[in-house]
Amino acid sequence: MGRIAAAYNWFDERTAIRSLIRKGLYEAVPVRGAWFYTLGSATLVLILLQLITGIFLTLLYVPSVTEAWASLHYLTQHDAFGAIVRGIHLWSAYILLFVIGLHMVRTFFSGSYKRPRELNWVTGVGLFVLVLAMAITGAFLPWDQAAYWTAVVVTNIAVYTPFIGSFLRALWRGADTVGPTTLSRTFGIHVWLIPAILFPLIGAHLALLRKHGEFGSYVNYRGAYRSREGVDVPPAPKQRPIEPPYPAVPTDELWAAPLETEDFYPHQTFKDGVVSAGLVILVFILAVAIGAPLEAVADPATTSYTPVPEWFFLPLDELLLLVPQQLIPLVLVLPTGGVLLLLALPFIDRDPERNPFERPAVMVPGAFAVLFVVILTLLGSGRLFNL
Amino acid sequence: MTTLIALIGPALHMLAAELPSQAPQGNNRLAAQAVIGSLFSVHILIAGLVSGAGEIGPAIEFLGFVRQRRRYDRLAHGLGRFMTLYFSFSSAIAILLITVLLVGYWGHFWTTMVTIGWWPLFIEAWTFVLQVSLAYIWYYAWEPLRAFKGVHMAIGGLLAIASFLQVYMIDIIASYMLTPTNPQNPLRLALNPTSYPLTVHRTVGNLAYIGFAFGAFCAIRFLRARNREDKAFYDWAGSFGVLWGVAMTLLQPIVGYSYAKEIQLHSYGSWYKMMFGTLSPVFLWQITLLGIMFITATLYFGRRLRTDGARGAGLLRAMSVGLVLTTLLAAMPYHLGFTYADVAAAGLNRPFWEGGLINPLGSMIPWKVLALMFYTLIAIAAVVWYLRGLPGVIWGSARRGEQRILMLMAFLTMLMIITMGFIRENSRGPFLISGEMTIQGQQNTQAPQPTPAP
Repeated sequence: MGRIAAAYNWFDERTAIRSLIRKGLYEAVPVRGAWFYTLGSATLVLILLQLITGIFLTLLYVPSVTEAWASLHYLTQHDAFGAIVRGIHLWSAYILLFVIGLHMVRTFFSGSYKRPRELNWVTGVGLFVLVLAMAITGAFLPWDQAAYWTAVVVTNIAVYTPFIGSFLRALWRGADTVGPTTLSRTFGIHVWLIPAILFPLIGAHLALLRKHGEFGSYVNYRGAYRSREGVDVPPAPKQRPIEPPYPAVPTDELWAAPLETEDFYPHQTFKDGVVSAGLVILVFILAVAIGAPLEAVADPATTSYTPVPEWFFLPLDELLLLVPQQLIPLVLVLPTGGVLLLLALPFIDRDPERNPFERPAVMVPGAFAVLFVVILTLLGSGRLFNL
Repeated sequence: MTTLIALIGPALHMLAAELPSQAPQGNNRLAAQAVIGSLFSVHILIAGLVSGAGEIGPAIEFLGFVRQRRRYDRLAHGLGRFMTLYFSFSSAIAILLITVLLVGYWGHFWTTMVTIGWWPLFIEAWTFVLQVSLAYIWYYAWEPLRAFKGVHMAIGGLLAIASFLQVYMIDIIASYMLTPTNPQNPLRLALNPTSYPLTVHRTVGNLAYIGFAFGAFCAIRFLRARNREDKAFYDWAGSFGVLWGVAMTLLQPIVGYSYAKEIQLHSYGSWYKMMFGTLSPVFLWQITLLGIMFITATLYFGRRLRTDGARGAGLLRAMSVGLVLTTLLAAMPYHLGFTYADVAAAGLNRPFWEGGLINPLGSMIPWKVLALMFYTLIAIAAVVWYLRGLPGVIWGSARRGEQRILMLMAFLTMLMIITMGFIRENSRGPFLISGEMTIQGQQNTQAPQPTPAP
């Protein structure tokens, strides 16, 4: 026995690492739809990339209105790799928002939020909101023109909250106008408050995922092969014996265990690795080729600057442009109502059917919601070019 | 490419010098406008169908593949056949319009547009070639590629992209005429303020239109069908068409509103003409027509479910009543005179209960905006309820009444397209290129903007 093996055995005897790795790597996952699951692991990889680059950025960034811009300017212009690290932080945030959105859409369309995975969905919605909050608060921090005017607009949105709007705005700003307290409070929220909730929630999300197992594509369950008129029934695939974590719900026979499963390692880990590596490479290329812009230092007195919203604000920005002044509070209720509706979704849609074509009551409004967001983004995208 | 432009540029200038410097005047101008307007309407009615079929056809084929249902394949194949039959008809009208009428009557304008929009028109021409090639390959390779469905669907995907690109390129030109920007900057030309909204509006509109159109076609075929299998197919396809058409039309209130907002921000004169000026009665008719379309579709949904005793028919009837009330709200005029300016000039711009000619319930904000929201929400609910009831429907058992509604839907959609085209093209008047070139004199000019209404 080599020394390394002996050391591994010593460590295993004290920590049970061998069984932990075996449990982690050799669990059964459904075969069908496996490329779509990679969105979850890609989300995790991008969040970790945010964490690592964020730690590096805090080594130099100074959260004060007089130093914030200068510290980032120094980081970008004079620090070795500073511009690339900042670029990776920005582009991984952008791509993270896109990937986590796709992950939610996939979960919604495949009906993966249904019993017994309701809490996976709830924690996932929580993670989506927190990632969005990270992006919004992060946009304040460079304290350039774009950051300052984003801070003015975003903190002003709080005022439309019924009854406590003015209090919320004052709480965030720390004064009547955006200033030093706003920046230090937002920095605190960005690096301490949100991560303190985000990372435990990620742990809970992953624990629940391992407890119930992945829900694959609906075509991989007996529910899909019920005979219907005009349907070409495919031959039943060779079935692997049901094994943990399946059946997820012993009572719900049709959707309890997938017909085809494979080991998480190496099948799923290979796919996860390909997609995550591809995204990391894309982030790196964008960080080097485009980088993270830093406009002129914030000037509250300017009259010539035209603020351009971040791309993830475009749907809301377009909606605010479209609706009349009197209906703006109603529009701001939409995102809040939307999040509440998303949280309640698994408890409203309790029908066990997973086939998207067989659950129009949820799919049609959901598809329209997605389409509206896409169309509003498209309509507002002209403003990104400041035309 | 630079060499090509260098060669073509002088040729265009020479051609422009040969063309009449004056546009048609007086009655001749009205006649020329009427001919071009009518032919453009026919062109758009056919071209919209061809573009829509190029986008929806591959989507239906893919849906059939995913759901393993043969009838989707049959429907997609039928759309392919339609494209191969009508592509040349639509193209012939476009060529006639450009080579004879536009060059002959408004030659200076056309050469100006070609010079400004050289790149979009160049790309449009090649996407046209790509679209026609792919359409024929997609249709004629159906059987030979049956064993290679993935390859066939990939060709369909390319066809959909080519169809979209062609619409986008020509929309750059159409939108530039309404909201011109710096023509020297290709990015600004391509992303002029109304190019995105117009492209989204037209793409979604074409997709809705083809749904209603094949719904009507299937209704006719259903009435003529002799065997049970055909009856079942045309009944299903008609229902699928109207469902698809309504689903796409649902998006139009917000897209159309966004388009109007951009016109307000960047071409105030045109917007004023639509909302308060000579086009305001036509605009009112358009928003009313939208309501009539939703009511008609909901009536179809309700009737189709009731025929087979499927669940949800009663609720759909209640929804159509809701849509009637919403349409009545949307149809209310704001000023009870031809234009707001007429009412103001007569000193009657005060509420009707004070002896004036203003009806506050007819204002865009908030009443018409609320009506548009209700249209969308009620119609989404109608689509959901119809889909929920569909498992109880036996295809092939539809009655004549439902088929008549399907034909009416297609007619209403065509009316809507002509109305919208009329509004858009006339809102620029007296300009061909907004604020830069007039219809009569074809000269660059600056027009004063109207005073904003209160």
